[in-house]
Amino acid sequence: MSDPTIDGRVRAILSQVLGVPPDAIGPGFSSESNPEWTSLAHLMLISQIENEFGVTFGSKEISELTSLDRLTAAVTARGA
Amino acid sequence: MHDDVITPQRLQQIASAAPPGAAWSAYHAAARSLDALAGAAIPDGLRARVAMLGSFTLEPFLPVLRIEAARAGLWLDTYLAPYGQYLTELLDPGSGLYRFGPQVTFLAIDGDVLWQQRWAEQPPLRSESVVGDLLTPLFAGLDVFDRAGRGIVVVNDFVLPRRSTEGVNAFRSKATFAHTTAHANKHLRLRLATRDHTFLFPMADIVAQVGRNQAFNWRTHYRGHVTWSDALMAAVAARYAGFALASIGKATKCIVLDLDNTLWGGVLGEDGPNGIALGPQWPGSEFLDFQRELLDLQRQGILLAACSKNNEAEVLEVLRNHPHMLIREDCLAALRVNWEDKAANIRALAEELNIALDHMLFIDDSPHERAWVREQIPQLRVPDVPADPSQLANWVGSLPSLVVLQQTSEDGRRTAQYREARDREAYRSSTGSVEHFLRGLGLRVQIEPAADSTMPRVVQLFAKTNQFNLTTRRHDEATLRRKIAAGEWRVYTMQVADRFGDFGLTGVAVVAPAGRVWHLESFLMSCRVIGKSVETALIARIAEDARRADAAALTAEFIDSGRNQVAAMFLTNHGFSPTDTRRWERSLSQPGPDWPEWISDLSAGRGPGAAAEAVMP
Repeated sequence: MSDPTIDGRVRAILSQVLGVPPDAIGPGFSSESNPEWTSLAHLMLISQIENEFGVTFGSKEISELTSLDRLTAAVTARGA
Repeated sequence: MHDDVITPQRLQQIASAAPPGAAWSAYHAAARSLDALAGAAIPDGLRARVAMLGSFTLEPFLPVLRIEAARAGLWLDTYLAPYGQYLTELLDPGSGLYRFGPQVTFLAIDGDVLWQQRWAEQPPLRSESVVGDLLTPLFAGLDVFDRAGRGIVVVNDFVLPRRSTEGVNAFRSKATFAHTTAHANKHLRLRLATRDHTFLFPMADIVAQVGRNQAFNWRTHYRGHVTWSDALMAAVAARYAGFALASIGKATKCIVLDLDNTLWGGVLGEDGPNGIALGPQWPGSEFLDFQRELLDLQRQGILLAACSKNNEAEVLEVLRNHPHMLIREDCLAALRVNWEDKAANIRALAEELNIALDHMLFIDDSPHERAWVREQIPQLRVPDVPADPSQLANWVGSLPSLVVLQQTSEDGRRTAQYREARDREAYRSSTGSVEHFLRGLGLRVQIEPAADSTMPRVVQLFAKTNQFNLTTRRHDEATLRRKIAAGEWRVYTMQVADRFGDFGLTGVAVVAPAGRVWHLESFLMSCRVIGKSVETALIARIAEDARRADAAALTAEFIDSGRNQVAAMFLTNHGFSPTDTRRWERSLSQPGPDWPEWISDLSAGRGPGAAAEAVMP
């Protein structure tokens, strides 16, 4: 992955899971604007981010992590 | 932007975006590149139809499976049964599974199915009922598959998914999860083994390889029934790809082996036969174990061949005389040991063995040789070989294309047959007269009365032999046993071997002694031994026995089947003359037929090699 920042790594995973080019993923990118972001895609997306950063999200948190900004913030908050 | 026709190399290139064991998201992204090909022409020879049925969420597994298949050069058309519907799909002949018509159906059932059943009531159910409740409907489904489906079915064994909390006394009880799992696996194995088109998938072995703590993703398991971790998905997919390859006849049939630093450590030309590393002590033990694994593959029918830049005489010296070499000369179906280009040598091996290059796999420690051969023969399988030889033995079993679905007892001898035929041919062309040829073969026969152990083979020979067969009567076992027991028939069997190999039981004669006339009711030779003069040995033995019993003549019946003229020539050549259209006779007052002096008689201890050869090979 070319961008080693948290934001860059989250965007790379979003791109792979959802099939969206990385440069089309920016601030404001969320599940609402993406039909590919299904519940199964969300499950796998969360798991890929957990694996990548070595973190675990709780059940309430997971249902809210539906945008690039929230995902990046949640990972950053864990100090990963 | 790409050619319309897809090649295995194109599929492999797409797969390379997700290296083996990569994160699931990388597989998922790479599978999208496969989707982009879907409109293009995928040759039939590269595609397999694969169905997935399971007890948990398998959608995320499909991209991983497609990529691992692509890495093996295969495009998959896939079908995924609805979640948790594996039994319904199997049991209903009108289900999507049967409409799809897969070549391979993978049935993925996790241990949780057993776990949940065990605690369906209080107290925990005994393992017998749990296993019965699971396997009875499963096998009912497989019965429907036998009628309504096609292709093969692959069912995994059950795995204890986590550490047991059943306590230190659990081993005393049958009402435990560990016992239930073992019991289920035992019955699954026994019942699958009786079916030709079903296979047991070694899930427990794969989980052990990945490591149980890494094999299951409990987070996704509880959140959405995605039980397999990224790592387990990749490992299972690679093995599944092997089944898919084999189901369309694309598995590896021959492994071509480099020698120096591949089959042994060191360079033979520099280190000499005593200096190479091969034997029970490290570092030779690394290569010894690798050879053991290769021999296991050979036993299943995969041919081994050697391709090495060396002096052939030095290599043959190691193959024949090195005390620790396990892969001997006769384990190799063919050899190319010279200083020529390896790609040309591999092509020559393919021609000699009559095996297509895309059914061959080349193992060479040298990255340069691999790169060269890959470039010259793109369709050849040339896997990366671990640079550390301690990894070789564990690595070779991970190659997906080494799956042999159909195995017969003949397969274990296939290498020998290739070699024996070649050696005899080479010998025949190097010798002049027939007798000289026969003398050099080192023929050995053992003639004995038919016994319980040989009866099935005797009956088989009666059923199959058409050319060298006096009457082509097909006697069954009951008739033979009755006549022998009544003293009406003597049934002779003959086993044949020569210095190139063993032909097995290849001659049978039925003699009906009637007073002073011994009558040849049947006399037949397998076509494998025609032209080796061993029929003379058998008739000579019968004549000796007849004279000892004071018989005056041999008679024989010949029934012309249109295909058995060689049997009529046999009678003429051994002093018989026709007395009517079917009956032939030979007086025993004339000498002969004589035992051929070049054949060793192991039952009577005579002939050139009788002393040296106490037993048949």
